[in-house]
Amino acid sequence: MAHQAHSYHMVDPSPWPILGASAALLTTSGLTMWFHFHSPYLLIMGLTSTALVMLQWWRDVVRESTFQGHHTPTVQKGLRYGMVLFITSEAFFFLGFFWAFFHSSLAPTPELGGQWPPVGIKPLNPMEVPLLNTAILLASGVTVTWAHHSITEARRKQAIFALTLTVLLGFYFTALQAMEYYEAPFSIADGVYGSTFFVATGFHGLHVIIGSTFLSVCLLRLIKYHFTSNHHFGFEAAAWYWHFVDVVWLFLYIAIYWWGS
Amino acid sequence: MWRNMLALRQISQRTINTASRRQYVNRVSENQKLFQEDNGLPVHLKGGAKDSLLYRATTGLTVFGTMYALYYLLVSSMPKKPN
Repeated sequence: MAHQAHSYHMVDPSPWPILGASAALLTTSGLTMWFHFHSPYLLIMGLTSTALVMLQWWRDVVRESTFQGHHTPTVQKGLRYGMVLFITSEAFFFLGFFWAFFHSSLAPTPELGGQWPPVGIKPLNPMEVPLLNTAILLASGVTVTWAHHSITEARRKQAIFALTLTVLLGFYFTALQAMEYYEAPFSIADGVYGSTFFVATGFHGLHVIIGSTFLSVCLLRLIKYHFTSNHHFGFEAAAWYWHFVDVVWLFLYIAIYWWGS
Repeated sequence: MWRNMLALRQISQRTINTASRRQYVNRVSENQKLFQEDNGLPVHLKGGAKDSLLYRATTGLTVFGTMYALYYLLVSSMPKKPN
């Protein structure tokens, strides 16, 4: 087997990038078929193929790193840059929705009754479930940091316990938020209040689900001995993402739930 | 150089010895052996028959879906014939 004279990872040829692009095509055209022609089949194919590609691509990354040893410090540095840039792009994504919220709420139009919340809107009490959700996410930030320290100190049982707690707190948040959505006295169709509220909190909720999934995969890998006390970047990436999700919630809570009521 | 790095990885993996039976057995070294076998297989197929099955299912679904999408794109681009 030929040896390379550099510390970078030259990956094996892989079908996942092109199949992932096709899956994106199926998902987007599937949405069109569903919206305009009431046919969900293409969308279902798109979502299924997207899930399959993600599963296999990330499975391969685990194989390349944990089983084949390709993730040298140089490679890890690149991955760190990548994750930071990705999270930054997500921050800009949310910035747009916050802009939309402040655009409408700082100078409410006469059509809204010249006030915020608009006339007829009964906002959720920020001191009830939203406050509990804030406490849950803050606590989960503590538990994920506890898990990280446990990993670096090679305390396996503690790490598993702390990460499990983190995942459970994430699920608890999602369950409470789903209940809030169901019970809310206003909907997404209720003018610009409904739009800004549900689009901003909705995308946040989706990110909580993504973050919880990422952490669950890390928990499974932790149990399977994939992480060492010095090398556990997958976990660090998940923890960074989770802290990001937490910070976005804090902004949402203060701006939309609290100031916006 | 690679073998030294890989050996270093295996040594640095600390398995905590406890008196009680561990629920999960550490299969990392078995997997390392499997995925480092010099059989010329790319990583997405190196796990065995299950990999090929999943790959074929994914490709099949994606190719079929792409043809389906292109078909409906053509159909919806055509004007509807009036009665």
